[in-house]
Amino acid sequence: MDLSRLDRRIIFLIIAVVVIVPMLFDITPEVQITKDTQQIFDAIDSLNAGDYIMVSFDFEAASFPEMRPLASVILNHAFEKDLKIVGLALFSEGTAIGYTLLEQIARNYNKTYGLDYVYLGFRPQYVSAILGMGESVIKVFPEDYLKQPLEIYTDFLGLDNYEDLPLLVSIADGSLPIHWADYANARYGQEVAVACAAVMVTAFKPYFESGQLIGPAAGVKGAAEYEKLLGYEGAAHRRLFTQSVVHLAIILLVIAANISAYVWRKK
Amino acid sequence: MSIETLIAAVLTLAIFSFLYKENPFYRAAEHLLVGVSVGYYLVILVEETIWSKVARPLAYDQNWIVIIPAVLGLMMFLRLSRNRAYLTRIPLALLIGAGAGVSIPAMLWARVLKQMSASMLPLYTVSGMIVLVGVITTIIYFYFSREQEGWFGYLAKTGTYFLMVFFGATFGYTVMSRVTLLIGRMEFLLTDFLGVVG
Repeated sequence: MDLSRLDRRIIFLIIAVVVIVPMLFDITPEVQITKDTQQIFDAIDSLNAGDYIMVSFDFEAASFPEMRPLASVILNHAFEKDLKIVGLALFSEGTAIGYTLLEQIARNYNKTYGLDYVYLGFRPQYVSAILGMGESVIKVFPEDYLKQPLEIYTDFLGLDNYEDLPLLVSIADGSLPIHWADYANARYGQEVAVACAAVMVTAFKPYFESGQLIGPAAGVKGAAEYEKLLGYEGAAHRRLFTQSVVHLAIILLVIAANISAYVWRKK
Repeated sequence: MSIETLIAAVLTLAIFSFLYKENPFYRAAEHLLVGVSVGYYLVILVEETIWSKVARPLAYDQNWIVIIPAVLGLMMFLRLSRNRAYLTRIPLALLIGAGAGVSIPAMLWARVLKQMSASMLPLYTVSGMIVLVGVITTIIYFYFSREQEGWFGYLAKTGTYFLMVFFGATFGYTVMSRVTLLIGRMEFLLTDFLGVVG
């Protein structure tokens, strides 16, 4: 049978079945911690209670299923460590998502807005926002997401610029971590850790190897590893089994299609 | 089941229906997505740019200096006028000049010098040798001022193998990312919408 002439809808159907069936079973595979995820975990773990951590929600709604587990583990870790979280978004779509996630996870730890965390919201033109915060965070964000002047949050007045910020985490589905590296790291020496969509890993790899970025925790696999480091099995663990089965199915389809193409070409 | 879940599920199914063939349900969902996205961006940008950077500083703080960038911004719209289009060169020149001034030193440092230094690893390690061969042969592949034949051609060919490894890794990661999105939607349909999975 020439698989290259197979109706593509049959392949969609196979993938749909392969996605749905594993979800019906409650199986969580064993997760091995990689050096990359360990790096970002260690970077956050090395901070002291009360230290500031800036979390930039640099992703859009389309990639929410992949980014949510990553954002959850980072925020869980930061709240567990009693860090003071400063949230922001450099993609307009990430603005509401970031705030909602921050609020949900803060509730689990009984954290108070304005005392344990603030959300600065969105600023357009990310290059000027990143550069501007190197001089003064309050000048770039005079008000927070709730339209309150930043001065009223006295617990956050110690954060003037990157000099007061031991770590910044970009949770990204696109190329924004590169801009954090270009402008915050290269110009101000700001430590930037990255939790990103798996599709971006190869684009960022040179930056991790050169030490300009820390991490990454990538995709649902990275989130599952991070969950293991935090000592629980959450959404990422549940998805990992399904993900592995789908990957196996795709590998088999690629092999079958190549064999079929080879055989038919010989004929 | 909440009305939000129902709407989200119906729209998800409408988009998935494209996998069978193009149909009016898919097109309606697609148009809705475009419309809602544009509306959302517009509100955010008006709020965060026009209101917070121009209107409010003028109205409440009497910060007249913002008139200059505001006028320069408005001048960009002169592109729509055939007679006055040349005036857009002024804000464009400012934008390009400032942009280049800000970007060139940062990018030269972050994207060239740091990357070069990171690729200079000790040659007595296996990874150091692989990086050296990979960098040199890949650069040779992109050197088009000389015919790629003979020893030069072999080196360029070696470069293509490194590129193929890169493309393979990128494809693998892309599959991983896209499958996660599909799993997320399926999980929503089976859990929140149908309640089949706990």
